[in-house]
Amino acid sequence: MSTRQPRLNQQVLLDTTPLPASVPPVPEIGASSAPLLSASFFIGARCGAFNDDYMKCKEEARGRGEIDCMREGRKVTRCAASVLDDINKNCLEEFRKHWKCLDNNNQQLWHCRRPEQLLNKCVFDKLNLEKKIPGSPEGETPIHLRKTQTFSHNISSIREDEPQV
Amino acid sequence: MAQDLPPTGGYEPVQYKRNLPARGFRPSYYLFAVATIMTYGMYKAGQGIRERNELAREKMWARIHLIPMLQAEEDRDLVRRYWADQAREKELLGGNAKVYHSDRFVRPTFSISPAKSTKE
Repeated sequence: MSTRQPRLNQQVLLDTTPLPASVPPVPEIGASSAPLLSASFFIGARCGAFNDDYMKCKEEARGRGEIDCMREGRKVTRCAASVLDDINKNCLEEFRKHWKCLDNNNQQLWHCRRPEQLLNKCVFDKLNLEKKIPGSPEGETPIHLRKTQTFSHNISSIREDEPQV
Repeated sequence: MAQDLPPTGGYEPVQYKRNLPARGFRPSYYLFAVATIMTYGMYKAGQGIRERNELAREKMWARIHLIPMLQAEEDRDLVRRYWADQAREKELLGGNAKVYHSDRFVRPTFSISPAKSTKE
């Protein structure tokens, strides 16, 4: 994530030794930031328990979490990969539209409410994952469901003439 | 010689007031108008701040949902390098010296230059 690869003498030196065979292999996610942002709330909806488990394990491992919590970490990665896989299988078109919109709009969610509505509907219908923002005030429409986005410059974000989903 | 006296009936009143027309509305009307504009503006600003707070919450939770996954990937990579270093050290020196006075995992900050350089 944040590690800088060591660069010596204008050559990229990468340690390519794989993990030992005793560690079960897990394919890495390999998605870039916009698809991850687009899918983040669905990852949170399905994998919240695994995520919390992993972070708790790291906290309780007192500085040895990198090695001791590899099992939990694999679960986290597998779960997130399963969500992305399911979205790719079931809602590929909506997903692409949304993360491309995010990529074109500085990854600011409020410019892409219309594609987000379509994606949320598709994912809720087919995967039963719902976007919920914890801690948002009671009795108010959640920000991603509002009809007007004050800060949006994107006319296509939400249009009144289109049917709301 | 006759003394200089005021005219009969006294002098004319001295005009000390300025004779300027009062323009515009009464001052209180302007006060109310400005107060109304300010109230409306502050209300809209408050609405905007609340909406921005919600957007910030949304962004923060999006990251919170992603952090464990990114951290797990990073940790796996670090552990892979660390174990590779340990294996290399054991192969070259015949044993693993304890470098740090701690059981904590220390992120490897060095790299061994391999015999063959990797192509990017």
